[in-house]
Amino acid sequence: MNVLNVSDLSIDFPTARGVVHALADLSFSVARGRRLGIIGESGSGKTTTALAVMRMLASPGFVSGGSIRLGDLDILTLPEDRMRRARLRRVSYIPQGAMNSLNPVMRVEDQLKDAIVAHEGRTDREALRTRLADAFAGVGLPAHAGSLYPHELSGGMKQRVCIALGVILNPELIIADEPTSALDVVTQRQVMQTLKDVQKRIGAALILIGHDMGLMAQSVDELVVLKDGVLVEHGDMRRVIENPSHPYTRELVASVPLVGGESFLGNSVAAPEITRSREDLALLEFENVNKAYGGITALHPMSFSLSGEEPRVISIVGQSGSGKSTMGSIMLGFNAPSTGRVLFEGQDIARMSQHQSREFRKNVQAVFQDPYACFNPFYRVDHALGFPFRRFGYATSDAQVQESMHLACQSVGLDPALILRRYPHELSGGQRQRLIVARALMLNPKLLVADEPVSMVDASLRATILKNIYDLKDSHGISIFYITHDLATAYHVSDYVMVLYKGQVVEVGPPKEVIGDPRHPYTQLLIASIPWPDPDREWGGTTTAAEDIAALDAMDHDAPTVFRGDVPGFRLDVGE
Amino acid sequence: MGRIPRSYLLNRVVTLLLTVWIAATLIWIIPRLSPVDPADIMLGRMAAGAGAVENADQILAQLKENFGLNDPLVIQYLKYIRNVVTLDFGLSTATFPTRVSTLIARALPWTVGLMLLSVVITFFIGNALGAIMAWDRSPKLVRVAIPVAMVFTSIPPILSGLLLMWLFAAKLRWFPLTSAYGLTVEPGWTWGFVQSVIHHGFLPALSIVIVTFGFWALGMRGLMITVQGEDYVMLAKAKGLRPRYILYRYMIRNAILPQITAFALKIGLLVAGQVLVERIFAYNGMGKLLYDAILDQDFPVIQGVSFVIILMTAVSVFLVDLVYPFVDPRIRHDGGET
Repeated sequence: MNVLNVSDLSIDFPTARGVVHALADLSFSVARGRRLGIIGESGSGKTTTALAVMRMLASPGFVSGGSIRLGDLDILTLPEDRMRRARLRRVSYIPQGAMNSLNPVMRVEDQLKDAIVAHEGRTDREALRTRLADAFAGVGLPAHAGSLYPHELSGGMKQRVCIALGVILNPELIIADEPTSALDVVTQRQVMQTLKDVQKRIGAALILIGHDMGLMAQSVDELVVLKDGVLVEHGDMRRVIENPSHPYTRELVASVPLVGGESFLGNSVAAPEITRSREDLALLEFENVNKAYGGITALHPMSFSLSGEEPRVISIVGQSGSGKSTMGSIMLGFNAPSTGRVLFEGQDIARMSQHQSREFRKNVQAVFQDPYACFNPFYRVDHALGFPFRRFGYATSDAQVQESMHLACQSVGLDPALILRRYPHELSGGQRQRLIVARALMLNPKLLVADEPVSMVDASLRATILKNIYDLKDSHGISIFYITHDLATAYHVSDYVMVLYKGQVVEVGPPKEVIGDPRHPYTQLLIASIPWPDPDREWGGTTTAAEDIAALDAMDHDAPTVFRGDVPGFRLDVGE
Repeated sequence: MGRIPRSYLLNRVVTLLLTVWIAATLIWIIPRLSPVDPADIMLGRMAAGAGAVENADQILAQLKENFGLNDPLVIQYLKYIRNVVTLDFGLSTATFPTRVSTLIARALPWTVGLMLLSVVITFFIGNALGAIMAWDRSPKLVRVAIPVAMVFTSIPPILSGLLLMWLFAAKLRWFPLTSAYGLTVEPGWTWGFVQSVIHHGFLPALSIVIVTFGFWALGMRGLMITVQGEDYVMLAKAKGLRPRYILYRYMIRNAILPQITAFALKIGLLVAGQVLVERIFAYNGMGKLLYDAILDQDFPVIQGVSFVIILMTAVSVFLVDLVYPFVDPRIRHDGGET
């Protein structure tokens, strides 16, 4: 018996430039106890589908055709108050941004209580308390979590509060919209296990919306692939992943970077002759750098030296809170170390003259996570690209600035004629992120610090942008620090990998050794927690995610760093 | 949350005292930069009253002596600070020899009564209307009517005051034209007096409300629009909560937070804020006192009133600092955000 039947559903968004068909003739159904995945990139219509089932489409979007039936309810014609009562009781929605999905000024238990009261009226206090306690226990939250405010919970805990909320009235359908996109791999596995367990227990159907093929392979029975609002493939998950029939699905499956898999980088450009001045001085050095905020150590003492004679890609990987971004901002001089020195070509970056500081800024460029926040919305692209170029004294004439911008755009695969006269808001996230790489490239830097450069970009574009960044190494002789939580991409792009955990370097060496064959228990856990796009491969091995997290907490933090193979041109020391 | 830590309280109190001290010092310095000599003005006023003044030089010297203007600046300053601490601002030059503190004590209750009431009412009305304007379930008519009503916001308070006076006092005769209470009632805690005060206060209060509610309404509308797009409002809807409950507990409850800070700043300014309203309604409050003092160049009174304004602002900001963590759990009493 199908819980949800969607047939020929079309959704339009009228805009100033004409009607956008967000969804066209979509049909699918989900049966009791089954799990359906909807996969697609941003703009493919997957969240729109979910909101249509909740009848919560944002204006001006509207359903232009088709029907949605939830059991005996015709969602599209239901009176408003009956629709309100169907939400949560019949179909619940677990939102994407669990970070901001809870009312900041209410205790979390009150946010479960008000939901129960809205559907069942005032109920017995004692019974209510027992139900809440059960709900929190059911998602593995401690009993006292209910009396906390959202800001006092971690991202993973908030996500589990949202799951507890989603199942508290035993709905027949749960829609989970990218429920783990903001979480690190270890927490992701725990949250997904919780969600699947609870769904099995109450026997509901589950729709999982996402963009991660690996997560789908480990979580769902059936898969719907959406592209630009059109269903391109629908079938048994195993069949879709192992034997995709549509070229787009094939592309999606192939674009997942795998540890040990085929490199997505392709053949590199021939390395030009790089002549570096002052070769006796290392490009970048940390001398016993550490960083503490108040009493908390964000980064334990470490020293390294990157010679820069040969360009290198050094990856810094770890979960959120591991200190990897702190390390990046210390390199860039945005954040002063608590003790120790950072040297750029032998010069302490904290004690530079104005001239030296300018040279440093020019030679060390950065690419950040959020491509939306990195452009001033008031300036066109050509101004944003040309400004630092002129400012650093590269410009000799307008024609030369133009030429340089064109070259930089081309080298990141953008058509300068289409891009340069646009405003940032007219570009996609991927285009913007590539422009930031182009802007850095124009300044002919010696070092690039890329902090999660692709985590906010669609999967199919990640490979392209990473390749753009990676090419800088060979074609321009630029050394790169790649800061990421994504081990699979780090595996492919780097010459050397440092794994950080709670501010400590736990394992270092070439990626084939560190990521391909991890020795430190933390690295092993990280690798095991990656959801593999292969239904036959067990996610996370024999232990449950909760056990893993407990083991992690119990881990000996003073265990020595595991040093694997060396890479010429980079030397690391940890400890005193 | 919970009790206020002592270190935080100490920190806030020190900030409060520093603010008041710096302000008091500025109030002392600024008139001394003015080329006008208050003693000259007093003498001029005497001359105007009596035709001519004998022994003008002697009187001038006497006045300077009385006002302590012959002392070195440091002594003058220290005396001034001592006086400020005891809330003694000396003698008014315009209504010599009344004490400034007496004048203020006479005027302050009227202003605090009228202004506090109208500012509080405005705060509630303005924020409620702003919320209704932004709420997607409000009737269309309401959403159109409120912006029209806000036309009043762009009218200067004297104009709207005069308009109200003309309509309700002169034409309809529903309310008295001016002053704070009737001439026939004896001030005191009698029902007749209270009735008279309310009757007289209604029009000035109304003119303040209609002129200033737009400030709150527009601010609230902007905040509500931001909050409406928040994920927690969307999840509230997905939870099947009743729309009104979402409006109160999820939207207004969050949108109001910055307004509370703004309210604290307004409280301090309310004394001086509606000088002209008090003036046209001949309402014997702080605004009128200040207005008259400026006209008469009565420096001690100006200083005293200014100091009271600063004191009220600083105290209300201090109170908001103490209360805010109870309103917004994300703000802690150590000043940081969690």
